[in-house]
Amino acid sequence: MTRAAPTTLRPTTPREVRDAVLDTPGRLAVAGAGTAADWAGRLHDIDARLETTGLTGVIAHNPGDMTVSVHAGTPLRDLATEIGTHQQRVALDAARVGRGATVGGLVATADAGPSALVYGSVRDLVIGTTTVLADGTMVRSGGHVIKNVAGYDMAKLLHGSYGTLGVLVEVVLRLHPVPKATATVAVEGPLQAAAEHTARLVQSPLEPIACEWVSGDPGRLLVRLEGGESTLHLRVARLVELLGDGAHEVDESVWDEHAALTAGGPGPGGDGGDTGGPAVAPDGAVLRIGAAPTRLAPLVAELPATAVTAGLGTGVATVTVPGAAVAETHDAVAAAHGTSALRSRSADLDAPAWGPAPSGLPLLKAIKNRLDPDGRLSPGRFDPWM
Amino acid sequence: MPLDRRIVDEFVGVLGAADVLSDPIRTRTYECDGLTGYRVVPELVLLPRTAEAVAGCVKVCARHGVPFVARGAGTGLSGGALPVADGVVIGLNRLNRVLEVDVENRRAVLEPGVTNLEITAAASPFGLYYAPDPSSQQVCTIGGNVAENSGGAHCLKYGFTTNHVLSLEVVLPDGSLVTLGGDSAEQQGPDLRGVFLGSEGTLGITTKITVRLLRTPETMRTLLADFPSVAAGGQVVSDIVSAGIVPAAVEMMDALAIEAAEGATGAGYSLDTPAALVVELDGTAEECDDQFEQVKAICDKHGCTRLHIAGSPEERANIWRGRKAAFAAVGRISPDYIVQDGVVPRTRLSEVLDKIAEMADESGIRVANVFHAGDGNLHPLVLYSEANGEAEQAETLSSRIAELCVEMGGSLSGEHGIGTDKACSMPRMFGEEDLEAFHRVRAAFDPDDICNPGKLFPTPRLCGERPGKYRPHPLEEHGAIERL
Ligand SMILES: Cc1cc2nc3c(=O)[nH]c(=O)nc-3n(C[C@H](O)[C@H](O)[C@H](O)COP(=O)(O)OP(=O)(O)OC[C@H]3O[C@@H](n4cnc5c(N)ncnc54)[C@H](O)[C@@H]3O)c2cc1C
Repeated sequence: MTRAAPTTLRPTTPREVRDAVLDTPGRLAVAGAGTAADWAGRLHDIDARLETTGLTGVIAHNPGDMTVSVHAGTPLRDLATEIGTHQQRVALDAARVGRGATVGGLVATADAGPSALVYGSVRDLVIGTTTVLADGTMVRSGGHVIKNVAGYDMAKLLHGSYGTLGVLVEVVLRLHPVPKATATVAVEGPLQAAAEHTARLVQSPLEPIACEWVSGDPGRLLVRLEGGESTLHLRVARLVELLGDGAHEVDESVWDEHAALTAGGPGPGGDGGDTGGPAVAPDGAVLRIGAAPTRLAPLVAELPATAVTAGLGTGVATVTVPGAAVAETHDAVAAAHGTSALRSRSADLDAPAWGPAPSGLPLLKAIKNRLDPDGRLSPGRFDPWM
Repeated sequence: MPLDRRIVDEFVGVLGAADVLSDPIRTRTYECDGLTGYRVVPELVLLPRTAEAVAGCVKVCARHGVPFVARGAGTGLSGGALPVADGVVIGLNRLNRVLEVDVENRRAVLEPGVTNLEITAAASPFGLYYAPDPSSQQVCTIGGNVAENSGGAHCLKYGFTTNHVLSLEVVLPDGSLVTLGGDSAEQQGPDLRGVFLGSEGTLGITTKITVRLLRTPETMRTLLADFPSVAAGGQVVSDIVSAGIVPAAVEMMDALAIEAAEGATGAGYSLDTPAALVVELDGTAEECDDQFEQVKAICDKHGCTRLHIAGSPEERANIWRGRKAAFAAVGRISPDYIVQDGVVPRTRLSEVLDKIAEMADESGIRVANVFHAGDGNLHPLVLYSEANGEAEQAETLSSRIAELCVEMGGSLSGEHGIGTDKACSMPRMFGEEDLEAFHRVRAAFDPDDICNPGKLFPTPRLCGERPGKYRPHPLEEHGAIERL
């Protein structure tokens, strides 16, 4: 059966989202700015694309409360600029923020960056959501206060749902102060050496914000600190001493290189520029993997990876592997008791998006069934599981 | 109606007779949690010793449609562990082993009956600790903490239980065993771990929990400061926050709460001050000292009338002792009291306190205030005398305070949960569509509605009933735990 090319819907208010969901027959692909359009399973049998890019802007920012509510299609980059004037930030440095990823898209893909070591992933920053379900039900959960245990935490359900459970229309985030000073110390060396440094670092009182190995020849470990203007240099000195020979302070721009590598390595699209759209790795596939921190380095070492950023404190790495190696990568990660998901891949690559299904799969199916019984939203994202 | 003999036999078949309690004298021990106004004696109490036995019990429940309620230490303050008539209580306190402390990966694997404080006790020889610190931590269990998404004084900087749990092994209401979450924060698909956290025992029973441990901070600095008004104290909190400082804890007490706490502990709080603030900073030595100077300057700027800096770990402990005793101590100034747990946006703290004072005046009932000022979580203590027939007025005032918090953009509960206590107020905070969606999530986990039914959601039966008064938890009376 051939289908007509999907139409694109671009609602500009939560109500219009609800109307679009109710008035459009068939299957809907939910999309943000498209920076992760090719992550997870491939969409199939789509009748319409529902884009949130028209649903933008801050709804309320109360600097004194350090919370902000935004429409879900707001690019985090733009939000950062706006709240930055108050010396506040959303403590999320996922690699695709710089390319215009939307707040809703970041939640739906469960994204995180190096500073997850201290601030957690986006799920740890969301304090409230409004979501439109497949039948037009509009659900609020959480609220505008950081501390709140009333009702189920629907934000967690939407986190990592890849558009399959509902359309996020509003998101409330907790904010953190912009640090007075930041500094990054680098030490060259292969992955194994970086893992040994990290083992000592996490036992020290130095409170690193990020601790990432980036591949290269021989690669290097980047450690970021945040602190006060007049005191941070003291901690930098302690860090340099701890890391030993060859450790030195580097410019913060190393994190742009880190983001580019995480997005699929240097090359077309993966340049970390602000052009939007997916950063496709030529001839390869980008996978996100997670494992217990001490298992990560040996696991990554055994993969045929051409580019790696590895959070040695968090246990989360992003690797680029040849297209043909995706399945074996999933297997290797599963054998290490980890989790893996396919991110960017070349357009013609046919590779499994996920490894073995988690034990909670029947539960996941039951939830999908209750919230979207006709399977209307983003079909294919969790192929082959459901 | 007693349970069918054959069903009882099936439970005995799973656990052995010794671990199945049916004698009303023994099951009565389980009739309530820390919200002692509600009581139901369960038909049976099941005390499994392994996850498999928990699953076996739940399978029997599922097969016969018997409702079950999981129970940790029973310190919950919202009636979450209140038994269900014609149902069973599944007590988790025999699953109480610390299974592993993984120092290199900074995590611990626990059975649900391990107490909160035992986690830190197991971790501290390695310079690690478990951050969420409810003041019931000597007694409450990690299973209960997971179910309530419990907080503590230090959650302003470090977050709540949900921010510290990596994975959960869960017995679902059909008796199947699943793992939610994983070895890192990176998960496959929706965060079901996060949905389970804070679900108040309504989605299943957790039988194994992996938590993150943090490195013990290098330095801690604690001060106690008096202010001419609660508003001035509130200003200090705002200024600390706008200076970009994230304190480990910021707690405030008003005159009435101080009077009670000081009377009970003699911890050194001033009896003539309208408000006192406890501020704690932690981190590396140089950062901490630098910020501490800034905090002191902010206190001065807002007319601090007395500044006491803890000069030793003992002095620090003393400041905290006074703060933590505040709840139980109001028993000294009032025969009965109700503990509230509403939240408002921090910037509305003085406004909400003014309104609470007004409402208290109107109803002729006194309210003492102790609160987590940093995150706007109030614990107003509604003081009354049942003997003088004030119970109903107090109950009404207490509910109005919680609902006022919602009207001011906050929440019904910051840490104690909805449970039985606040189920009837849920429609003040959530619309019909929201509640209906929660129901659908619940039904996906528990289609037959046997897992802690009647909690969290408003039901006609419950919302027609009047709860009894607050009574101190037995453990509290014995001084084993203190209320924060
Ligand atoms: C004096 C005092 C001070 C307190 N201070 C604080 C505080 O500072 N911060 C705070 O957040 N809370 C506080 N509390 C409330 C209470 O201690 C917490 O809610 C705690 O987490 C409850 O743990 P518990 O083991 O006693 O659970 P219980 O009371 O036994 O149960 C609580 C809920 O959890 C469910 N449950 C228990 N175990 C499991 C399991 N294994 N799987 C699934 N569900 C389960 C029960 O069904 C019930 O719904 C305080 C209570 C008291 C009495």
